[in-house]
Amino acid sequence: MAAATFGDPVETGEDTHRMLRDAALSFAARETSIARVRALRGSDPGYDRAVWRSLADLGWTGILIPESHGGLGLGLGEMATVLEEFAKTLSPEPLNAVAVLAAGVLVQGDNDALKTELLPGIALGHVLPALAWQESHGGVEPLDIATRVEGGVLRGEKRFAVPAEADGYLVSAQGADGPAVYWVDQGAAGLQRSFERRADGSRSGRLVLDGVKVSDAQRVASPAVAAAALQRSVDTATVMAGAELVGVMRRALDITLEYMRTRVQFGKPIGSYQALQHRAVDLFIEKELAVSVLADALLHLDGDDGQLALWASRVKSRCSDAGLRIGRESIQIHGGIGYADECDIGLYLKRAMVLSAWLGNGASHRRRYAALAPAHATA
Amino acid sequence: MADMDWDALDDETFRREVADFFRTEYPEEIRFPAHFLRWAQCKDWYRKLYAKGLAAPAWPREWGGMGLSPGKLLAFIEEQEKHGVARTPDMGITMLGPLLIRFGTEEQKREFLPPSLRGEYIWCQGYSEPNAGSDLASLRTEAVLEGDEYVITGSKIWTSFAMDATHMFVLVRTDKQAKKQEGISFMLVDMKSPGITVRPIRNLNGSEHFAEVFLDKVRTPARWLVGQPNQGWTIAKALLGFERISIGSPKLSQTGLQRLERIVQARGLSADAAFMDRFTQLKLNVADLTSAYGRFADIVKRGGTLGPDVSLLKIFASETFQRITELTLEAGGDAGAIEGEVAFGDAAIDILSPFYNARPSTIYGGSNEIQRNIIAKSVLNLPG
Repeated sequence: MAAATFGDPVETGEDTHRMLRDAALSFAARETSIARVRALRGSDPGYDRAVWRSLADLGWTGILIPESHGGLGLGLGEMATVLEEFAKTLSPEPLNAVAVLAAGVLVQGDNDALKTELLPGIALGHVLPALAWQESHGGVEPLDIATRVEGGVLRGEKRFAVPAEADGYLVSAQGADGPAVYWVDQGAAGLQRSFERRADGSRSGRLVLDGVKVSDAQRVASPAVAAAALQRSVDTATVMAGAELVGVMRRALDITLEYMRTRVQFGKPIGSYQALQHRAVDLFIEKELAVSVLADALLHLDGDDGQLALWASRVKSRCSDAGLRIGRESIQIHGGIGYADECDIGLYLKRAMVLSAWLGNGASHRRRYAALAPAHATA
Repeated sequence: MADMDWDALDDETFRREVADFFRTEYPEEIRFPAHFLRWAQCKDWYRKLYAKGLAAPAWPREWGGMGLSPGKLLAFIEEQEKHGVARTPDMGITMLGPLLIRFGTEEQKREFLPPSLRGEYIWCQGYSEPNAGSDLASLRTEAVLEGDEYVITGSKIWTSFAMDATHMFVLVRTDKQAKKQEGISFMLVDMKSPGITVRPIRNLNGSEHFAEVFLDKVRTPARWLVGQPNQGWTIAKALLGFERISIGSPKLSQTGLQRLERIVQARGLSADAAFMDRFTQLKLNVADLTSAYGRFADIVKRGGTLGPDVSLLKIFASETFQRITELTLEAGGDAGAIEGEVAFGDAAIDILSPFYNARPSTIYGGSNEIQRNIIAKSVLNLPG
């Protein structure tokens, strides 16, 4: 089954990672800027299709898609390397949401015709799907589904779909035989979309499915595979959100440290004051812990599926809280200017807020970790 | 047995051999002890280690050590921790030995290394003074050269194992005119010398581990000065390589968490959501500390050099350990102030000793505030 190829171990050396990182650096220098990020805030759809195609040209949209479907067929380590670097640029293009979360469900689904139809388009950057798995209250449990599929008709409401304005949605629904996932075109009859603005100026989608007709040909994942496909894709995207948070916190901390070296008060750089130094060191430690748990997860995950949920919760609880803390305290260390929209540091805080809340915040993942972790687990 | 080439074993065999020895040969009554051991409690164990050739893991083989590579040394320490093998009064092995091997004369090596390895010389370290703690370089104990002897006057404090020690290595001021760090020398002293008084210091945990050592015109041979005169600061600093990772080991936190987990089960605290959130937070802290430790340990195992960022392990390990002992106290409820072992279900748990033992962990080895200063300057490049 093709499902086995998503995020499985791939033998690539340091060279692949270095090439991907170099490509990411050159993307950051040529294709995006903070000015572009600012200009796209509050716009619709909130990302740039031309930039999306250049991400596809770099191969990033197809990193996890098997070569047989037009992707690169690489592993989670490579995806994480790209996402971490990409996140440093604050680019609003929904790389994780499309290339990991949505593509993951398609790849692990059991509809070969749809795979052949959609996956090459995703890899080429022509198709942007969104996974619509959460409902009104959100949450970290992908099988907690109230949306129903009965007699080929979808009824229910979905929320927090990213990208909000997608070409189509992978909608999870509960049927007589269990959960399944359907492909719903953005123009389908009976689909109403509305949008909620997120802290960083991007949008998430609210879908009302009021009698949307779906055929078996649109069923991405049947009850035989849907639960596993959803769980694994959500958990994988959760780990990858950790990589994005690591990128954001690295850059935010660098900016804050540079500010501490140059901002002079009372005749000295503020970075020479011990109260601020110790504060910065605590942020540095939080960042290093986030880097460590992510690296450890990537080391263990390529190949070991049984522990994916546990690792996802460990990664996301640390990275969410560390990202938020570094964002918040960076504002404090910047002082008054940190509260001004014109100062870039606020953009990093807001992206950290969005990434922290997305796919479960620190507190929800701590609760899930407590429920999943065996007693006496100390590692 | 002492001629065995431990470093030639493959990693897995080495770890298994060492673990087997710790499991079968270490005396049960001193496994995971609540307090530091006195020499009388552990000298039989030390002799077993010596007979097996395991007494000096980091020393080169030509001086009777195991000659372990950094990776195997780390595995050795990890197995010690795992099996609750406590520290013996080991300053001569862990601190002085490597230092003499690097900076000592041939004569000094021949005079001091073999009896230290045999456990005949027990060493203590005379660095801190009542007015030189974190600001160690301001130490004032003075040594004046008279003929072929130095005459030492002053006092040292927080000296571990002083009551058992036969010898002490000290930092003393030999040039009062020089800048702070540049007038310090490193020398060796016989604890039986006239003029030495040892006053044990009782800890918060009720035991006597540290001591104050008074030196009143104590005479020591000039040939017992290690390195060059006024070079002592450099020599003492050179030691702080490997200790910086082992001081950041997650083991104390891991065993502390297991202790806490037994209380949680016995007292049914898992139904208390507010408590469990903090407990889970600590559990994740220990898990992530273990990941961070693994990252630095990999550098050591690959033969790399640790940077100053390794200080973060010491900070996070000691503060996590403290928080665990604090939550353990809280989990104990009314028993959280009862001394000695307390029954929780079928387990007998000493709540207070780990709590007390965790206090100095953020003070010794460079207080956590000093560690933060180091990271701020050397890693984050913040201005001085």
